[in-house]
Amino acid sequence: MAGKTIVITSGKGGVGKTTSSANIGTALAMNGNKVCLIDADIGLRNLDVVMGLENRIVYDIVDVVENNCRLEQAMIRDKRYEGLYLLPAAQTRDKTSVNPFQMKELVDKLKEEMDYIIVDSPAGIEQGFKNAIAGADRAIIVTTPEISAVRDADRIIGLLEAEGLRDPEVIINRIRADMVDRGDMMGIEDMIEILAIDLLGIVPEDEGIVVSTNKGEPIALNQSAKAGQAYRNIARRIMGEELPIMKLEKDSLLTKFKKLVGLS
Amino acid sequence: MSSVFSFQAVSDGIVMNFRKGSTFGSIKKAVALHTSEAANFFTGVNLYLNLSGLEFAIEQLEELIELVKGYNKVNKIYFTARKIKNDKKEESYSDAVIINRTLRSGQIVKHQANIVIVGDVNPGAEVVAGGDVIVFGKLRGVVHAGAGGSKTAQVAALDLNPTQLRIASLIARSPDDEMSSDSQAERAFIKENSIMVEKI
Repeated sequence: MAGKTIVITSGKGGVGKTTSSANIGTALAMNGNKVCLIDADIGLRNLDVVMGLENRIVYDIVDVVENNCRLEQAMIRDKRYEGLYLLPAAQTRDKTSVNPFQMKELVDKLKEEMDYIIVDSPAGIEQGFKNAIAGADRAIIVTTPEISAVRDADRIIGLLEAEGLRDPEVIINRIRADMVDRGDMMGIEDMIEILAIDLLGIVPEDEGIVVSTNKGEPIALNQSAKAGQAYRNIARRIMGEELPIMKLEKDSLLTKFKKLVGLS
Repeated sequence: MSSVFSFQAVSDGIVMNFRKGSTFGSIKKAVALHTSEAANFFTGVNLYLNLSGLEFAIEQLEELIELVKGYNKVNKIYFTARKIKNDKKEESYSDAVIINRTLRSGQIVKHQANIVIVGDVNPGAEVVAGGDVIVFGKLRGVVHAGAGGSKTAQVAALDLNPTQLRIASLIARSPDDEMSSDSQAERAFIKENSIMVEKI
């Protein structure tokens, strides 16, 4: 099997790389793919917590690289989907414990088994970032509608190009239709114009993300959540389907009224 | 491997002793070979190069320094000409180290005997002991008692709620649904080849 390796990165911290990794990985597995999530944020791991798999960690990526265990021993099978695995980061080590060459070797080995390998990159542009992009075939950049996040995304696109990773795609996270309408938030078109790369999807701001993160259940599992739908769509686009970008939904007159009288 | 040098373990690292009267050429050759074959030999420990009984020119010393840089991730490299005494006494199983603070995420404490922690062990922190682990506080991280294989080791805490609890080669993990909120002192031990937890 010749799997695809996709790195999820952003430059800036807190824009939703880990949330996006967890949800895209889960949604790809929901569609019957064999998926391995790799947490490349050594020393500040989170993906295991977001996936609700923290208590299953025995070995981690550094153990694999240092030959303390076999790769299969470190891969944690998800509790919901058969074909979904997590290779956790080490918490008691730092980014220098792995180098890009070792990372590429690891990813190439996983490609034989998996349909998709999703690498959750740490924030920043230092060694952790370089590790995360080593061996990637495709890059997804997560940004939010804030000028600082867009600036960093632009810088990352340049760095990816320098590493030979062409045509990255962008996910615009935490967008709020009402604020865009009022002109208080950058619109999708403005951001795409600055970044000049393809839009893979938009994810609306959703309180449910906080709940799902704290519970360790990706929101993609939640059929009624808007953000869950957005991630499921993104996964299908990654698989090659042509899906229209989700319409930013404004509150309908009814919900506006409900909000006004405090019912919603 | 040649007999130009030999190794001696000390409490915080490894001493590389060179045979008396070795020529610089033979030392250079042997070290070069060893760095290429076993670059990870000194990973994470201190390396003491014991040059007693040898005479080097300053250029030769510099050459030797360049060579030992070929070892990966050595903690610190020392040059010495003293006889190094191995100060590591055989510690008995009953020895304990006392940690007087809270262990936070990413911090790890390892000890070959018992560990007593006066404070909490937060999620993401790790405690690894050859013997028992006792926590006067909340135990929320990963704990491994009897890491050398001792099945009689136990873990006790004022609030025992670890992410993962290991004794010898057995592993137990916290339940996926929310943990119990009662904070009663408990201890965990091996009984009939599985990990049991009981209130103290």
